[in-house]
Amino acid sequence: MELHDVLIIGSGATGGMAAYTLTRLGVKCLMLDAGPPVDLEKDRSLRPVSDLPYRGFGQPGRFPHVTQANEFNANVWADEKQNPYTYDAGAPYYWVRIRKIGGKTLLWGRASWRLSDYEFKCRDHDGFGDNWPISYQELAPYYDRVEPLFRVAGRNEGWPQMPDGNLLPDDSRDSGSVQRFIASAKRLGVPTTKPRRATGTLASSVNLLLPEALASGHLRIVPNAIVREITLDRATGLANGAHFVDRRSKRDFHVRAKVIVLGASCLESTRILLNSGIANSSGVLGHYLFDQFYVKNVVQCVVPEARGGKGGRSLMGGGGYIPRFRNLAKREKDFIRGYAYDFGSGHTPHPRYVPLYGEALRKEMQELEGAGFAMTTMGEVLPRRENHVRIHPGVRDAWGIPVLHITQRYTENEFRMARDSMEVAEQLCRGAGFEILGKHAEPVPPGESIHELGTCRMGADPRTSVLNRYNQSHDVKNLFVVDGSAFVSGGVQNPTLTMLALTMRACEYLVEQKKRGEL
Amino acid sequence: MKRRTILGSALSLPAAWAAPAPAQTAPPPAETAVKLAFDSPEAAAAGVRRFFDETEFAALERLGRLLIPSAEGLPGAVEAEAALFLDFLIGQSPAERQTLYREGLRALHAAARQRWGKAFAAVSDEEAAPLLAPLRQAWTRSAPHDPLARFLLAAKDDFWQAVANSRAQARALSGRRRGASGLGLYWHAAE
Repeated sequence: MELHDVLIIGSGATGGMAAYTLTRLGVKCLMLDAGPPVDLEKDRSLRPVSDLPYRGFGQPGRFPHVTQANEFNANVWADEKQNPYTYDAGAPYYWVRIRKIGGKTLLWGRASWRLSDYEFKCRDHDGFGDNWPISYQELAPYYDRVEPLFRVAGRNEGWPQMPDGNLLPDDSRDSGSVQRFIASAKRLGVPTTKPRRATGTLASSVNLLLPEALASGHLRIVPNAIVREITLDRATGLANGAHFVDRRSKRDFHVRAKVIVLGASCLESTRILLNSGIANSSGVLGHYLFDQFYVKNVVQCVVPEARGGKGGRSLMGGGGYIPRFRNLAKREKDFIRGYAYDFGSGHTPHPRYVPLYGEALRKEMQELEGAGFAMTTMGEVLPRRENHVRIHPGVRDAWGIPVLHITQRYTENEFRMARDSMEVAEQLCRGAGFEILGKHAEPVPPGESIHELGTCRMGADPRTSVLNRYNQSHDVKNLFVVDGSAFVSGGVQNPTLTMLALTMRACEYLVEQKKRGEL
Repeated sequence: MKRRTILGSALSLPAAWAAPAPAQTAPPPAETAVKLAFDSPEAAAAGVRRFFDETEFAALERLGRLLIPSAEGLPGAVEAEAALFLDFLIGQSPAERQTLYREGLRALHAAARQRWGKAFAAVSDEEAAPLLAPLRQAWTRSAPHDPLARFLLAAKDDFWQAVANSRAQARALSGRRRGASGLGLYWHAAE
C-alpha cells in the first residue's frame, strides 16, 4: 500500500492552508475530507424566495441547532440526523458544521483580526487561565503572509489590543449615520475602526488555497472520506495512518502516512483523537472548550432623519467595528477580559421591534425602510476545564462512528460582560441621536457563534496541554493539530486568521523537522 | 336550435385553442439537451388545509387579515394565501410550535366568545383590538409568560414573512424597484 508523505485531514481553512504551505515546499500530500466537492458554478443558482416550497422559512425542524440555516443555504449544513451529537439536559450546544470540500470557508463571514498579547499572554495580564506557549511577535510574520493571500482589507490603528496588519487600505468614506456614531463613541472614549475582512464574496479554501496546491502536482484530494480514527505504530509510538469510511458506500479503508496534519475543525479533530485513544497522556484532550458569545442586535435603532425613505447613501449604509476596550490598562469592571462590537447602518429593522399590527404596522415598516442601525456584541468566553467534550458511550453517527457529548455553559463573567455591552451600546446610540427600538443582553447559546475553540490546546507543559508550541502532539511526534482546537484563549477576534497563521507556521516547522531528520 | 347543437356550441374550444397550429419546424437532433421551464405548485394550484380544524383555521384566517391587510396595491395575508401556507408550515413543525398555534387560536376564540359572544373569525376590527393588545407592547427579548401573547407575537412574525415571500408580493413588486424580487443564492444538494 502507498505510503504518503503527509496525510491532511480536512479541507477547510486549516486543511487548505496546510496543503498550500506543504505543496509549495515540495511535500507530497494526500487530503481526506468527510464531504463531497461543491461545483460553485453548477451547485448554486439565483432563485426567487417565492418559488421555494417553504417561502424561505426552510423545512421546519431540519436544523434545530443551526440558526444560520435558511431555505437558500439549507443544503450546505451538515445534516443533524446523520451527524448527531448530545449535550447535557438544559444546556443545549449549537454545533454548526459544514461537511463539504472547503468546509466552513464556503460561507464564512471573512472577518480577519489578529490576536494580541492580551490573548497570548492573558494569564500575565489578569491572572486567569494559561498563557499560550507563543507570543504575538512569533506569530506576526505569519499573519503578515496570510493577510495578502486572503486580500484582507481594513485600517491600521496602532492599537496594542488589535495589532496592525498587512492590509489593503480601506479609505472609504463613512456615511453620515456612521460618522455620528463614531463621534458619539469618541466622546465616550470608545475606539472605532473600519471592518477588517477578506475581500471577495467567497475568499475560500476552494479558490484561494486548494487550486495552487493541486496545480503543484503534489496534492491529491479524496472527498467523502470520513476519518474514523488515526492509527498508531505501537512499536514507535508514531502515527502510521488513518481508517476512514467512504460516505456513500460505507466501505472501510486504511491509508498509510509518515506525518498527519489534522484540521478537521475544532470538535471533529478532537472527536477523531478521542476515538483513536491517542495524544492524551495529559488527560486534557477534550477539555477547555470555549468560544465567543454573541449578543445579536444588542441594540436595534432607527436613525430618525432616515425615516420615510429620506436616508440615501450619504446618510445610511456601511458600518464598522469597536475593538475590545474594557480592562486593558487596569481592571475596571466586575468581569475580566472584554468584548467587541460590529455595527451596521442602512437595513430595515424586523417588524418584531414595532409594537403595532395591521395597516399601522405596514405604514411604520415603510417609514423604517433602510433606516436601521444595529450593533452586535462579540464577547470573550473564559476557557474552563469543566467545559468539555467526550465520546458518548452509546450514540453513533450514520457511519457507525461514536459521537461527541458536549458540555459548555456560560458563567457570570460572560453574563456580566453582556449586560455591560448592552448599557454601553445604548449610550453610544443615544449619543448619536438614534432612536432605540429594542435592546437586550441575552447571549446566543454556546456554539452558535461558530467560533468553537480549545479541547486540544497548546502549551509548554505536556502534563497540562496536548500540543506543543508548533501544534505538534506532545505524545505523537508526527501528529500536528492545526485548527481552532489548539487555542488556549480566544479573545473577541474572529479566529480564522489566527488558525491560518498557526497552520502555516506549523507546516513550515514540520518540513524543517523532516529535513533535519527529527520527524 | 336543437339541444344537442346548444351543448356542442357551449363546449366548443375557445378562440385561442382553435388557432391554427404553427408550421412544424424540424426537431432538434435527438442528442441535444434542452432546458425545460417548470413552475412551482403554488403557481398553478391552491394548497389544501390539512392541519388546523375548521374553527382554528377560520380564526387563523381572520388573524391574518387583521395582522397584514392588503394596501396600496400590495397583497395582504388573504391575497398571499398566508393562512393556508401556515397551515402547511405549522403542520410540518415540531410539536412545541404546533401546540403554541393550536392553543393560541383556541384561546383567541375563547376570548372572543367571552367578550363579544361570537367566534374570533366573526369579530370586527374594533372588537379584535383588545384581544390583540399584546401586539402593542414594546419589544422585549424574553418571550412573554402568557401563551396567547407568545402565540400572537409568533404569528405576527410568521404572517409577515409568509406574505413578504409570497408569489403575490413578488408579482406586486416586480418592476417597482430593484431587489424586490427576493432573489437569493440557492445551494442545490451536492448529490
